[in-house]
Amino acid sequence: MVARKRTQRGLGAGALVVLALCVVVASTAVGAGARTDGPSALPRSQTLYVSGKQWGPYTDFNPFRQGDYATGVLGLVYETLFRYDPLKDRFIPWLATNGRWSGSTYVVTLRNLVTWSDGRPLTAADVKFSFETGKLPGSEFATMWQTGLQRVTTSGNRVSFHFRGTPNYQQWDTFRYTMPIVPRHIWASYSAQAITTGNNDDMSKLIGTGPFKYGGGKGGSQTLQWNRRDGWWANRALGKRMPMRYIVDIHNTSNTASLQNFLQSKIDLSNNFFPGIDKMIKGNVKTYYSRAPYMLAANAAWLVPNTTKKPLDDRNFRRALAFSINVGRIVRDDYGNIVSKASPTGLLPTWRKWIDTTAVRQLGYAYNVDRAKQILQQNGYRDRDGDGFVENKDGSKLDLRLIVPNGWSDWMTAIQMIADSTKAAGIKITPAYPDFNALVEERNSGKFELVINNEVQLSNGPYVYYDYLFRLPIREQQTTRNFQRYANQQAWRLTTQLNKTPSTNVARHKQLNSQLQRIMLRDLPAIPLWYNGMWAQYNTTHWTNFASASGSGLQNTPSTWNGYLNMTGIDALAKLRPR
Amino acid sequence: MATIEPVAAHTETPVAAQPSSPPPAQPRSEALHFALRNPRVVIGIVVVGALLVLAVIGPWLTDADPFEFGFVTGAEPSRENWFGTTAPGQDVFAQFVHGLRASFVVGALSAAIAALIGMTVGFVAGYRGGVVDEVLSLFTNVVLVIPTLAVLIIVAAYLSVRGLVTEAVLIGVTSWPWAARAIRAQTFSLASRDFVSLARLSGARSTQVIVREIAPNMASYLFLVFILLFGGSVLTAAFLDFIGLGPTNAMSLGVMMNNAVVSGALPLGMWWWFLPPGLGIMAIVGGLYVMNVGLDEVFNPRLRET
Amino acid sequence: MSLYLARKTFLYLVTFVVAVSVDWAIPRLMPGDPINGLIARLQADPTAAEQLHGYFTESFGLDQPLWRQYLDFWRGLAQGDLGPSIAYVGSSVNDLLLNAVPYTLALLVPAILLSYIAGNRVGALAARRKALDNSVLPLAYVLTATPYMWLALVLAYVVGFRWGVLPVSGAYDFSLQPAWTWEFARSFATHWFLPFLSLFLVSFGGWAIGMRNLIIYELEADYANYLQALGAPNGLVRRYAYRNAVLPQMSGLALALGAVVGGALVTEVVFGYPGVGSLILTAVQNRDYFLLQGAFLFIIIGVLIANFVVDLLYMVVDPRTRVGAGRA
Repeated sequence: MVARKRTQRGLGAGALVVLALCVVVASTAVGAGARTDGPSALPRSQTLYVSGKQWGPYTDFNPFRQGDYATGVLGLVYETLFRYDPLKDRFIPWLATNGRWSGSTYVVTLRNLVTWSDGRPLTAADVKFSFETGKLPGSEFATMWQTGLQRVTTSGNRVSFHFRGTPNYQQWDTFRYTMPIVPRHIWASYSAQAITTGNNDDMSKLIGTGPFKYGGGKGGSQTLQWNRRDGWWANRALGKRMPMRYIVDIHNTSNTASLQNFLQSKIDLSNNFFPGIDKMIKGNVKTYYSRAPYMLAANAAWLVPNTTKKPLDDRNFRRALAFSINVGRIVRDDYGNIVSKASPTGLLPTWRKWIDTTAVRQLGYAYNVDRAKQILQQNGYRDRDGDGFVENKDGSKLDLRLIVPNGWSDWMTAIQMIADSTKAAGIKITPAYPDFNALVEERNSGKFELVINNEVQLSNGPYVYYDYLFRLPIREQQTTRNFQRYANQQAWRLTTQLNKTPSTNVARHKQLNSQLQRIMLRDLPAIPLWYNGMWAQYNTTHWTNFASASGSGLQNTPSTWNGYLNMTGIDALAKLRPR
Repeated sequence: MATIEPVAAHTETPVAAQPSSPPPAQPRSEALHFALRNPRVVIGIVVVGALLVLAVIGPWLTDADPFEFGFVTGAEPSRENWFGTTAPGQDVFAQFVHGLRASFVVGALSAAIAALIGMTVGFVAGYRGGVVDEVLSLFTNVVLVIPTLAVLIIVAAYLSVRGLVTEAVLIGVTSWPWAARAIRAQTFSLASRDFVSLARLSGARSTQVIVREIAPNMASYLFLVFILLFGGSVLTAAFLDFIGLGPTNAMSLGVMMNNAVVSGALPLGMWWWFLPPGLGIMAIVGGLYVMNVGLDEVFNPRLRET
Repeated sequence: MSLYLARKTFLYLVTFVVAVSVDWAIPRLMPGDPINGLIARLQADPTAAEQLHGYFTESFGLDQPLWRQYLDFWRGLAQGDLGPSIAYVGSSVNDLLLNAVPYTLALLVPAILLSYIAGNRVGALAARRKALDNSVLPLAYVLTATPYMWLALVLAYVVGFRWGVLPVSGAYDFSLQPAWTWEFARSFATHWFLPFLSLFLVSFGGWAIGMRNLIIYELEADYANYLQALGAPNGLVRRYAYRNAVLPQMSGLALALGAVVGGALVTEVVFGYPGVGSLILTAVQNRDYFLLQGAFLFIIIGVLIANFVVDLLYMVVDPRTRVGAGRA
């Protein structure tokens, strides 16, 4: 009797467990984004697995939300008028075949025979509609309509953009390759709110001109799948063909997991940031460069001082600070050489041609503790109390608080290294790691002292960097530019002029760049530290011919991060070959 | 004396068996005698004591600062770096001993806070009874049922600056309910004893009765409660640290594990970075629990096996 | 019986209201403006940023007076709407949670049940066999003192990375999609096993120790001595002792739930298992008020329901409650 009771109870418990598991499996089968078509296990040689960009669920399919849309929405599904090649600094006609200035009107010729994935033709009305969404409240493209663009008119397959006064050529150039073109016959029925901030995740309405269409994985699924579609215009018009039938993007849960999957060849193109990857670059693991810095540069990390606070308001002090930071050690030990030291101007390597090397030679700086000490001495910063650190000119204690968001471990390590290195020159820096929101509060309201920042990304010209450094007017809350609150009317004037200079006027560009760089180097409103990489690691077990510095036609941007597919990311993918 | 043991130890809720008549109060010397002969107590004291000593003198054994860089990056344990180095080149041993310190500080402080709250609530509820007891019991049960880790996560997530003390206070303020319940149960049984009634008749106020008569008779029990609170707090602190809600300006064992995982120590094979901190926590908590069991046997002869 | 049930129901109702209020209040009492953080993440340019700020504040209802936000929260709760997510603008917390819940349940339910049952059995066995006691008990102590995430790390490292036997991330291989196939089931099982094992082992230790001590205690009680004196077989005495010991273990089960959830959270983090724990971590990292609130509520409601179920079971098991004597 005892034995039977025991087994009964044991069986009961066992049955419960099995039942629970069945329920769970069933609900995951239902709950996770169901696949619309395609085999339940994809053929490996026809599938490209990418990862690194998506850290949240695949919920946003709205290309107008530039930072947020799921991997590939812009680039694989929706496309732009032009694409931009940052390595060659040229625009690639894409949905447009031609674009030229006629006075202060920009006239675009739309490509013929482009069809949406539902078969309807791409028309000028679609383009006009897409650009006009920038006028809706809450649009991320609002700036376009506040800097000169007055109206958009169409005539046949020509779209004309009419500007008031001198157009902001540089900013306009950016919109040429970042503005998604969406089908008017679908999007006209969306409310303004849906267009600017909605997810627009109704897959039957995900109609684009791009080479892929939705295959499955929307929502909380582990992966997002894109299926190649027939009828992509570039097949015929350019002879371009995407070699993979499926692109599967993997939702990242942790770097460790992604790294393991990558090393096991389950991921082909990884755009994850893998600290320590430099030790693994051999055999089938490759990167853009075969040696340091291994990656292309995507943005600069700046040490941003609050120039309204003493002694950061003294440009000589800022200069001494610049001399006292051992960036080389951060590059080597924190990042394992997958980043590179920044030019004193902060301009990315792709803008090398605009760097005024004479100015850099005359006004630049490098890591030099003795020089730093010298500058401090010369400007009245002395260590009077013998504690090893200098005081302010008026004798008060000098202790600068340097903040980065809590949890951004490589930056946390970096500022510890910075504090460590400025100590030798006598500058006391205290690292702190507030939460992201708290940091944003501190930074935007001007309460901070020192902060690391890298928000401005690679784009069609250094205008964005000067904008970042010099933008005026300074408001109470600085939300995206000029956190350092540096007010230099001349610099801002020159920046605006640069914006209003067409790219064809190379001489004027060189002149303005030189002037701006001289101001920047002399005053150091922010100190560029290192260039973050366009993180990209390749596992060549299943696919080869990835973007690389050597190899013809392979100099492309190998990133699936938002905004890169519509540069030369599509080319990077198009060049791949299965093993 | 009711037994306490760490059931599903990651709750702060050891289960108290039905209280029976408390054992005769033992003379101190007898308790000590048995304590030192009980193998579990000895093991517990040795393990925890050794780590405590390490935590105190450790930072002097190494002249490396836990946050200092400059060593070979990602190196295995060697004569220069006894526990090896982290991926960006910090000394793991230095981090370990500083982390031990942090664990002890947080554990002790939060246990003290939780014990204080638990004793206050438990004594008052057990002694007064009636409506006071009902209200306090409801309050205790509510806090008990709420998963405190979830609350801790939310609160910690919104504090921009978190130090060891903040963490200790947070944990202490949320981990007292089971202690209050246990103390209340004990107080009930003690409150019906003769010597308490005597004290009450002689006109002593409630607080005096509690402090002078009841508490001393529960001294050993309270000590056990404190030990378990200590162990539980160390674990909870490790949780918070591991998911990134630990102190923003100090090194702790949980922070070490978090750093290791985030920096890819697992695929890169840097076992020396994440194994020691976990072992350290295990040793402290395990030692405390074992000590608790041993002391339980000492105070409650029925469990003794000698 | 009704008194016991009534008391428990009242307690859970009060707990629910308090928990919901605390859940609602904490994010709003904390410093910092979540919308600023959201805008900063969007990296919109200045003019757009200003517009967006006003827009989001309004659409999240954060410009309403506090008392109205509180009432709206309850109203939304009653309608089963946990609000929109801040980090994933446009998605509802409900959707995000519903996607994650099955995975967490898949880990928790078997781990809790099996560790409870196995732990109790082994503990009971250890109470009467010295040899087992000396080997199992120290192991159980080690296990129960092990932090959940550390055991997860060790298992992941040794079994996953070093030996490469089992996968250490995700719920299933990402070349597959959920379907009723053997391939999927096998992939699911291999990905599920290590996190489950990690949770199971740690919880197991605690139950084993608890049961063992309780059994010893019971075996020395008066009734046990009396039965033995009467000549009852050992098995009978042990059975009665076991039944009595189960009672406090059962009440302990309800209380242990809250903590095992915490264990599941860190285990999910280590193994990248896409459950509520990973979702909470993402919400924390992105300071997503509503998502945190929603996840927290889910945990609360789950724990309360589980508590209630256990209490009902307890009523079945302990006749004293039915008679109305209640528990001391």
